[in-house]
Amino acid sequence: MLERIIAAAFAGGLIFAAANFANAQTVGPQGEAATPSSSVTLSDADIATLKGKGYKAALLWHTSSDFTNAVSAGAKDEFARGGINIVVTTDAQFDAARQRSDIETALAAKPNVILALPLDPVTSAEAFRQAVKDGTKLVFLSNLPKGYKHGTDYASIVTDDLFQMGKQAADAMAKAIGGKGKVGYIFHDATYYVTNQRDKAFKTTIEKDYPDIKIVAEQGISDPARAEELASAMLLQHPDLDGIYVTWAEPADGVLSALRNAGNPKTKIVTLDLAEPEALDMVKGGNVAALVADKAYELGRAMAAAGMKSLLGQETPPFVVAPALTVTKDNVAQGWKDSLNRNAPQSVLDAAK
Amino acid sequence: MDAKVIASAGQPVLKLQDISKNFGGITAIENFSLEVYPGEIVALVGDNGAGKSTLIKIISGVHAPSAGTITIEGQSVTMSSATMARSHGIEVVYQDLALADQQTVYMNMFLGREPVTRLGLLDRRKMIADTEKLVKELDVRIPSAHATIRDLSGGQRQGVAIARATHWANKLILLDEPTAALGVAETAKVEEIVQSLKQRNIGVLMISHSLDQVFRLSDRICVLRRGKQIGVRRTAETSKNEIIAMITGLQEH
Amino acid sequence: MSNANTNAAVAASFAKRINLQQYVVYFGFVAIFLFFAIVLKDSGFLTVRNLSNIVLQTAPVTIMAIGLVFVMSAGEIDLSIGSTVGVTALAAAVTINQYGLVAGVLAGLGAGLLIGLINGAMVAYVKLPSFLVTLATLGLLAGVSRSMTDLRSVPVIHETFVGLFGSGSFLGIPSLMWWTAIAVAAGHMIYRETRFGAHVLATGDNARAASVSGINVPRIRLTVLMISGTLAGLAGLLYAGRLQAAKYTLGETDLMTVIAAVIVGGTLLNGGKGSIIGALVGSLMMGMLNNGLILMGLSVSDQMIVRGLIILTAVAVSLREKNR
Repeated sequence: MLERIIAAAFAGGLIFAAANFANAQTVGPQGEAATPSSSVTLSDADIATLKGKGYKAALLWHTSSDFTNAVSAGAKDEFARGGINIVVTTDAQFDAARQRSDIETALAAKPNVILALPLDPVTSAEAFRQAVKDGTKLVFLSNLPKGYKHGTDYASIVTDDLFQMGKQAADAMAKAIGGKGKVGYIFHDATYYVTNQRDKAFKTTIEKDYPDIKIVAEQGISDPARAEELASAMLLQHPDLDGIYVTWAEPADGVLSALRNAGNPKTKIVTLDLAEPEALDMVKGGNVAALVADKAYELGRAMAAAGMKSLLGQETPPFVVAPALTVTKDNVAQGWKDSLNRNAPQSVLDAAK
Repeated sequence: MDAKVIASAGQPVLKLQDISKNFGGITAIENFSLEVYPGEIVALVGDNGAGKSTLIKIISGVHAPSAGTITIEGQSVTMSSATMARSHGIEVVYQDLALADQQTVYMNMFLGREPVTRLGLLDRRKMIADTEKLVKELDVRIPSAHATIRDLSGGQRQGVAIARATHWANKLILLDEPTAALGVAETAKVEEIVQSLKQRNIGVLMISHSLDQVFRLSDRICVLRRGKQIGVRRTAETSKNEIIAMITGLQEH
Repeated sequence: MSNANTNAAVAASFAKRINLQQYVVYFGFVAIFLFFAIVLKDSGFLTVRNLSNIVLQTAPVTIMAIGLVFVMSAGEIDLSIGSTVGVTALAAAVTINQYGLVAGVLAGLGAGLLIGLINGAMVAYVKLPSFLVTLATLGLLAGVSRSMTDLRSVPVIHETFVGLFGSGSFLGIPSLMWWTAIAVAAGHMIYRETRFGAHVLATGDNARAASVSGINVPRIRLTVLMISGTLAGLAGLLYAGRLQAAKYTLGETDLMTVIAAVIVGGTLLNGGKGSIIGALVGSLMMGMLNNGLILMGLSVSDQMIVRGLIILTAVAVSLREKNR
């Protein structure tokens, strides 16, 4: 999932800057209230109107990953309901110039709606201009080209709820350690928006909602490969930690390994994003208590739905947020499906039996 | 000295006088003197390490001598690069030929000295015409001036290298093992080309390991051993046995 | 073998060479074009806008490819061109916003020239292999471009600049096409018709032969890397003009495309032979391939696989013919 973190880092002037922790919710670029993605749906009448129109869609992603595959799958299934074909899919490989070329190329296929993740607000402003001129309906993921106006330039922005992800991680931690105790906090020590927001939300929630839980150790990490030694040092100073929060799954590998080496079966780990080693440890009753993920498939579905609403000339919500998902031992199989729209790894399913 | 015998041929194109060359403390060439006359082929023979290559490098300007003088057509010269030797009319045909394999014959003929038109662009027409004229004169049988070197046989390549030297040398050509890598038929052809250089009134100084070839081609033979000149003989007046004895040191001058 | 036989064999291989090797890229280009024209005739491939997009999109790659033809012909390589683009685009953008058009253009081209000078000096005079030198500067420049504006994108709001290097046009022809045409024409002329071009080829072909023929081999190596750096600088300006913004990622993914375009276009990896026109056609072929495969509606992974296979085939055919 590092791709996603990098993606967010690439996304220079991110829109969530307005995320307001005092109110504990995510707001849009112009302060719009978040619309839950579950409310962005099409009626049967809408579907009937769309069918037979021969509309075409293009998906212009920033990279190729588990995440984009799941978003694409969600979009494809939702578009299929309205009889819309996806005629073009691209991967800009985080290259702003390439994204511009991808847009131009895609426009030759005359798509009626484009779903895209603009790489960064500044460079994408000029890149998407021709699409706006051609009258293509635009639905953006996570980011907004600078100066674009809702309604005239684009239909919706859809994003995952970073605050909710961090908060749910805190809730899952509290539940795993019985609402009180000492926890360690391993955060991403770099200016990467996605991880920073999630880490901050975790910390804020623990401090505000769980007065009996104390964060007794804080450790920044920038290189996942060093996670094991950092976690070992933390455990040496605080051998009685009840839980450790880890900023994302890859460094959690190292933390897990440190706990195993220390022969420590009781310290619980909560981390973000779905990954096989952590899920396996979790279903086997190891240290990992919960994994919090976003609903990538739902993001894609909501984007497609917003795009189709726009094609129908309906009002589209400017800022749509897809919920976060807490995956524990009990819902691991379903969790994988809900998040990434595919089965959990076989090893995890076998161990869960 | 034997050289006086043909002094009647006029001024020597190359005159080496008391040339010495030291590398660090080691003496590679000691008090070496030799004259080469126009239209004459002089062979330089000696065992491996006798100093032949060092001598060629001194004459071609790669090494400056530690002592002694080099005189070209009566003018004393100091050379510090191959370019300077070339500007004095001395050309070298290296053992590896120094040809650019993927380029055409005509580009190789003019390598580093390409003529340009008034606009500063390559004058291909002149290069091709000159090349064709020369290969015809020297009877170097190549398919065309446009042929790429890599498509030529070893003998043809040697022919091109000699033709290039001939084109640019107006005084002296140094030939370093001209037929070392060639078969019998091709060797004969290259020897023919070397022979034909005599008519052009150019001096030729040749290194060869083949005494047969030396006796077939040269007018005089200069023997080198351990950096010293052992002696110079007129080819017509000596024998292989004598030369071998001089090379191996069984007979002192 | 008799001389007559040798000559016949040489003549035959000569003819074969002319027929196949030199024209691989052109045959490939036409074949791919025809294929897309037929398969995608209803998908907008053949529209003027789409075809002109291909040319515009490939302009920076073509310009970098011209530089690389010089470098590779001299037997060297320049891996740093991609990261040079990011540095020069940012240098130009920041300077334009502060000091105006002329200063900005000079900053972009100057930065490219300076990078080429550093690469070239290390190769020509410190005598390090260009592969290692430019691999090192590739990483170094990626760091420099990231630190220049602290990962931020810089918008370019100068209208004349955007017109000259991006969306403008002159006599009805987009400026990016002009830059491509000028660079190709000048590059071809210098490469084919000047002593410098001949010396570049000789250096890459046989550096010793070039050296004993009086060619200043170190200076040739320095110069080709300076050309390559400067052209990467121009590519940076074109990217900045086209996106009306500069960013450190610009050009970073271009290196492989540029190398593929140059090799498919008939330039040998180890020097001594090459073609500017071939590189242009190779670059257009890469652009057309990207464009057509996207329009065919292939998934991203399928696009990558098919593109890889076609490039592999093209490279195999053009190299096999030359490196017998």
